Amino acid sequence: MRRAGQALLVLWAAFTASYVLLHLLPGDAILIKFQNPELGLSPEQIARIREAYGSDGPAAYLHTLLGFLRGDFGYSIDTGTPVVERLAEALPETAKLAGLGFAVAIGLALVIAFTPWLRELPSLFVAIPVFWIGILLIQLFSFRLNLVPVIGGDEWQQLVLPVLTLAIPVCAPIAQVLARGIEHASAQPFVQVVAAKGASRRWILWRHVARNAVPPALTMAGLTFGELIAGSVVTETVFGRNGVGRLTEQAVSSQDTPVLLAVVVLAATVFVLVNLVVDMLFPLLDPRLRS
Amino acid sequence: MPRRVTAAVLLAVTGLLAGCGGGAPTAKAAPAGRSVYGGTLTYLEHQPPSCLYLPAAGFYPNGGLLNQLTDKLTWQNPETLAIEPWIATKWEINKDATEYTFHLRDGVTFSDGSPLDAAAVAANFDVYGKGSTELRLPPAEFVNNYERSEVVDARTVRFHFDKPSPGFLQGTSVIGAGLVSKRTIGLPYEEQCQLKNVVGSGPFTVANQIVDKQIDLKVRKDYNWAPPSSKHQGRAYLDEIKIIVTPEDNVRVGALTSGQADFVRYVQAYDEQTVKSAGFTLYAEPTRGVNNGLYLRPSNSILSDVRVRRALQKGTNIKEVVDTLFTPSYPVATSVLSHLAQGYTDLAKELVFDPDQANRLLDEAGWKRGADGVREKGGRKLELGVFVSLPQPLSKQTLELVAQQWARLGVKLEVRPGDAGTLAVDIKNAEKTAISHGMVGRADQDVIKSHFHSENRDVILSEDEKLDRLLEEQSALADAGERNAKVGEIQRYVIDQGYAIPLFEEPQVYGGAPTVHGVSFEAVGRPSFYSVWKS
Repeated sequence: MRRAGQALLVLWAAFTASYVLLHLLPGDAILIKFQNPELGLSPEQIARIREAYGSDGPAAYLHTLLGFLRGDFGYSIDTGTPVVERLAEALPETAKLAGLGFAVAIGLALVIAFTPWLRELPSLFVAIPVFWIGILLIQLFSFRLNLVPVIGGDEWQQLVLPVLTLAIPVCAPIAQVLARGIEHASAQPFVQVVAAKGASRRWILWRHVARNAVPPALTMAGLTFGELIAGSVVTETVFGRNGVGRLTEQAVSSQDTPVLLAVVVLAATVFVLVNLVVDMLFPLLDPRLRS
Repeated sequence: MPRRVTAAVLLAVTGLLAGCGGGAPTAKAAPAGRSVYGGTLTYLEHQPPSCLYLPAAGFYPNGGLLNQLTDKLTWQNPETLAIEPWIATKWEINKDATEYTFHLRDGVTFSDGSPLDAAAVAANFDVYGKGSTELRLPPAEFVNNYERSEVVDARTVRFHFDKPSPGFLQGTSVIGAGLVSKRTIGLPYEEQCQLKNVVGSGPFTVANQIVDKQIDLKVRKDYNWAPPSSKHQGRAYLDEIKIIVTPEDNVRVGALTSGQADFVRYVQAYDEQTVKSAGFTLYAEPTRGVNNGLYLRPSNSILSDVRVRRALQKGTNIKEVVDTLFTPSYPVATSVLSHLAQGYTDLAKELVFDPDQANRLLDEAGWKRGADGVREKGGRKLELGVFVSLPQPLSKQTLELVAQQWARLGVKLEVRPGDAGTLAVDIKNAEKTAISHGMVGRADQDVIKSHFHSENRDVILSEDEKLDRLLEEQSALADAGERNAKVGEIQRYVIDQGYAIPLFEEPQVYGGAPTVHGVSFEAVGRPSFYSVWKS
């Protein structure tokens, strides 16, 4: 119950902070859209358009906040469509990309952490920008080897490279923490005791070492959520995919406040939920945290 | 040696991959064999379309879309620049160019089934000529001195102007003059901006749109009103066009050369060789208007001195910019206007790089070099600001190179990347934005007015009444010879006043697969896919 209250507070703070910051930025979406000299609009005409879009000030803040509570995020200034509609289009795409990306990242992290000669890879993965990973994968698998198309292709073909692009940087920190955890746990005296009692290597690894090594990696996995979001912005742009990342990128460039507010609140909500889940998983793994 | 072998193998592989795209690849896109109906053209665009209210839709990313959706009253032959019939079969213009009568083709319909008749044309041009306060629609920059329309009969429409408007005939052929249905033209600005509301009479219609990602166009089977001078008549050859937004430069080019796409826009200068050496066709289309250049604002307190403006003009090494960053597709500018523009005058002699004279002019103007090499006067440093212009190719690199050249003169140029909000606020402030970087394409003398007049784009935030007067005089001269002479005078004046540092003639660069035939371009470089077929 207390946690839920905290979560709501975090969401409200995220909403208010972004509301204030977005309104402090120079210019606004209407000016950006209509100042184009090709349109030949005078400042008075632009002001009139702005009026048509609604008022500003404290009343507008309350109006927007109440709207959010009712699930009404307003209209995108850039395209004139309801924000809810745009999110409904974009969200499943990003959920697919991020979900699969995360799953593949965990898989990769496990493989790397439990394979000693692969353990140098994460430092490389951390160092390459996501953007580059995407371009390299496209050049190699699509343009050179012609294995998967980037343009056209069915849904799965369109997902393979973006998912890999996202998974590579996300798996790196998880693999690093997990590998360190394994090394640390293996060096503990109790492992020698268990080994002396005649337990097999596999038993020791899965039953004892892994159990001790996983919790820090799990925290790390929860924290990589931010990386997932940032990564999907870049990945979606490189691959020309529709999704929340691309939507955000375009809303930022056109300062489309209603869309940005909705995205921030959405991201904050998911972040809060993910951390809640991670916190609840801990007691399952670590008996000391139960009760 | 092994390296060369690898290269050869790679080339062979690329060649094979290209071959997989369909048919035998030929060296050039010259029509090989007979044209065939059917097929889908995959067209990769750099940016999603912006607002599609036609007079405001000249933004190049919109061109590949709108040219397929709308027709115009007249067609400008891109070779001769002559105005030829299209929806208007013939026309009469009175002697002082204040009355235009157009006779329309019979049986033309918009894709919603409504007729393209005199009433529809009149409704379009009433908005393009005067705008609409109520619907928040701004007037079009290609229509000057518009008074009213008159529907003579169902197939005859007359336009009246309160002053001579010789540019109007060409104005009826530009992308912004695309004709839309009466319902569309009656919608408010925000609605006309949206693709779903653009109902034209063109050879294709919109079948499906994923906002900001993809637009599918479908052929209109009953289309039968191409410009009479077009060899191809009737419906378009293609069944479908897929316009896919692909922001990454090397993904667009790679997708083209690996056979995943048929046609791409915005091939960067550094990718041209990749396209050509893979055996693909590079189309560098001229835009025939005001050149890509730096436009200096006299209302800025430093640039108010003509000697400073002239010094910057003399101290900019245009050739170095083009040689370093661009290719022969980008000809060095020899005037404010492109050498293919109407009324062009060669002013190359005025634009010769002369750093000594530049330094002398700055000394004369009282700007002395300070300790850090930047000139100063009365405690103020010679610092100027400019925003990177996103639609211009390699704008950031261009400005940075110019900044290096100016640093040698003792002038500091601050190149700002500029988020859209800051740009929108500061672009109209001559103190913060002393210089603007841009161009505008249109194959009519009026293009220079669009760029400089204080009531049009006004890139230099002009306070120069003489310049405005010259531009207006030019736009009202009915005799082409006199008009060109006036345009020549304006180009000289703009250069003499140091309002412009023309850099290069900006092309629109496209890449096409060898299997794509019959691509044509309007006079300022936007593609038309009407006669395109794939082998």
